[in-house]
Amino acid sequence: MKDWHVHVFTSTYTADVSGVCSAMYELGGMSVLHDPSGCNSTYTTHDEPRWYGSESLMFISGLDEMTAVMGDDSVIINDVVNAAKGLKPRFITLCGASIPHIIAFDYKGVAKLIEDKCGIPVLPVPTDGLKMYTSGVGLALREWMRRFADLNIKPEEGVINLLGVTPIDFSRKEIVDEMKASFERRGFSVNAVCAMGESFEAMEKVCRAEVNVVVSSAGLLPAKFLKAKAGIPFVVGTPVGSAVTDKLCEKIRQSAKDKESRYLYDSDRYTTRVEKPDLLIINEEVNAFSMAEAARAALSEDAKIEALFPDADEGLDEDLLVARIKEAKAVMCDPLFFPAFAGSSAKLIRMPHEGYSGRIYRGEIPVFTGDAFDIKKML
Amino acid sequence: MEYFKVIKDISYKDAVGSGLVYSSPCRGGWNIVHYGTLVPGGHMIFVCPVSCLRGVVLTTAEMGPDAMKLLSTITVGEDNILNGDMEEELRRGTEKVIESLPVRPRMVMIFTSCIHHFLTVNYQRIYKILREEYPDIDFIDCYMDPIMRKKTPPMANLKRQILRVLKPADKKDGQVNFVGNCFPMGENCDLTNLLTENGITIYDLSTIEDYDDFHKMEQSKVNFTFHANAAWAAKDLKVRLSQGWVAMRETYDYDAIDEDMKKAAESLGLAPLSKEHIVKEREKTEAAVTALKEHIGDTPLAIDDTAVDRPLELALYLLKHGFKVESVVMESKADSEEVFEQVKKLNPELKIYSAENWTMRRAHFTHEGKLIGIGARSAYARDTGFFVDINENAGLYGYAGIRELCRLIAEAADNEQDTHAIVTKKGWHCNLKEGCII
Repeated sequence: MKDWHVHVFTSTYTADVSGVCSAMYELGGMSVLHDPSGCNSTYTTHDEPRWYGSESLMFISGLDEMTAVMGDDSVIINDVVNAAKGLKPRFITLCGASIPHIIAFDYKGVAKLIEDKCGIPVLPVPTDGLKMYTSGVGLALREWMRRFADLNIKPEEGVINLLGVTPIDFSRKEIVDEMKASFERRGFSVNAVCAMGESFEAMEKVCRAEVNVVVSSAGLLPAKFLKAKAGIPFVVGTPVGSAVTDKLCEKIRQSAKDKESRYLYDSDRYTTRVEKPDLLIINEEVNAFSMAEAARAALSEDAKIEALFPDADEGLDEDLLVARIKEAKAVMCDPLFFPAFAGSSAKLIRMPHEGYSGRIYRGEIPVFTGDAFDIKKML
Repeated sequence: MEYFKVIKDISYKDAVGSGLVYSSPCRGGWNIVHYGTLVPGGHMIFVCPVSCLRGVVLTTAEMGPDAMKLLSTITVGEDNILNGDMEEELRRGTEKVIESLPVRPRMVMIFTSCIHHFLTVNYQRIYKILREEYPDIDFIDCYMDPIMRKKTPPMANLKRQILRVLKPADKKDGQVNFVGNCFPMGENCDLTNLLTENGITIYDLSTIEDYDDFHKMEQSKVNFTFHANAAWAAKDLKVRLSQGWVAMRETYDYDAIDEDMKKAAESLGLAPLSKEHIVKEREKTEAAVTALKEHIGDTPLAIDDTAVDRPLELALYLLKHGFKVESVVMESKADSEEVFEQVKKLNPELKIYSAENWTMRRAHFTHEGKLIGIGARSAYARDTGFFVDINENAGLYGYAGIRELCRLIAEAADNEQDTHAIVTKKGWHCNLKEGCII
């Protein structure tokens, strides 16, 4: 019987609440996570490499039993207003974990009440602590754009945005810088990197782009929002290596011309289970498929390559994971998956991912974006 | 904006700030995962939404590759909430974990979470079934439910729950338990020295390596506790197993130490420590603290509650001996109001930092000259590389403990450390043999 809930040996991807805080981290706001305790140190310890020594604001509400049972929202309202008066953030993001979810906490209503009291814009982001980080990043970016982006700006030729960029998927600044440079080398101007190493002001002008590039599945929700509200098409794919980046840029040019959204890859090609795959890639969805494209270009057109990635609601099914690792000849994944290799002779190709192992292997994460990355050297 | 409070300006009830909660990049004390790994042959199963699982899983992973073998998870999903099948999921998941593990665990600690309380999950029914299915395994109901923290703090709860498997047994002379310690109490503990000299065997979860030895704790006559959060466990054992209980206060007051040591000796029918012994101990301790004062002079000190359970009481002791204590960093009020008022009298300018209050995020931790921190939290909050890197008293108790602390402070004064690298590591001296990997 399929049971995605049980993980006997393996870790878990990080949750939507960390995704929200990560996406909003550098924009001058204050993220408030409605939660009893634990989500704050989880985020600041394992999911936020920028925490030590910076002044960005993220807190939890410290929800307790009586406040939850009585539905006393005045506690969080007063606490947020009090802190906002002292810290003067540019905006406030309100998200939460599982208890607010099951007591039907009214994010929109409470956000309005806080905003009325302190005069600072408050973004309600109704997370529930049950989903993957990609969901949280997407919800937060969409809400931010809904509130702050100037949707009337006209697109400019050759201008793109990168959507879904946070340290959870892209770890360090140099990885993002290389990603930007790889597009710029091909004649594109990168307008906004949403949202890592980016300013509030550049994000406001997100509609300058004629195409949005969704470099992680975390960027899909804001991409769909911008498509619906501003007519900007999107292309899904991560620029991993020069061959893939060339292909991705070609797709961007096509989308700029016909205004249609498209994908770098044919996902069916890598999700069809095959016997003895040459390579299994486990990572965030867009990254996994993009890496699969890079591997196919490096190995051969006929190479048997599979991609496995966490579902936003269910994460990664450990039974499926163990079965596919056992079947594969080589597996490119985070080293923390190693306990799932018991009984397998597959070669482990180490590709750490902060969304999975947090800070443990941070120093080992290669610059996997841009032209200099050559997947062949790793295989 | 005020980032700290000056003690002369506040009353005891306002000593710790309220409102939104901040998470320092600096580690705190051990958490329930660290403590759970102390059980030899134990296996932990956390049953929570993914946002709660993330922290416990990575805390475990950071303890090293072998640590991941000690923990499994059952993710609570939206489907469980809608279908109301939390009990079935708990049972099915636990069975799967047990059947999949390469080695049969002796104890399975099942941690349910906040959400289970709100959905009124009848987990006791499942534990009953599991106990019948697996009679060779001790199942423990454990809790990672911070929403209940004001009534049942998770750490105090776990310290009690783990010992719930102990059953009434015939008591053995010459055997006692230390209850609720994360770290072994060795030669820097007066009580260990007294017991060892009298040939008494000490059972302490922090040193037990075999599950059968763990069960021998039920044969002990007396339980000794050194931390306030071990009180629930000791009370429970007193009621259920009729074991004695002596609470050894974490104190720097010589009379209080003597009083507790006397109670300890009496509980075992031992002769109390002689007056000569006590005088000698006091003299040695005074000599140690005087030497420390000469060594560090008026270098300011900051103290926090990750290093010692009662930071204000330590501040009081040091102030009485002429030291310049400039600040205390604390998360809650562990000290009495009486101690608070005495400290206020001795140093009205003492700064109090609320370790988890939102005001700490943008506090400017600068200071002039050298400053010595006692604990990682004070090292971070006061931005110093000169600090004593200990956690939760680190096995220090009594006169011997004070002398060792003096030695550690002197050592800290002479050696600047990499604060960032040290204070961000979780789980000080976690017990796994390979040590923490980060």
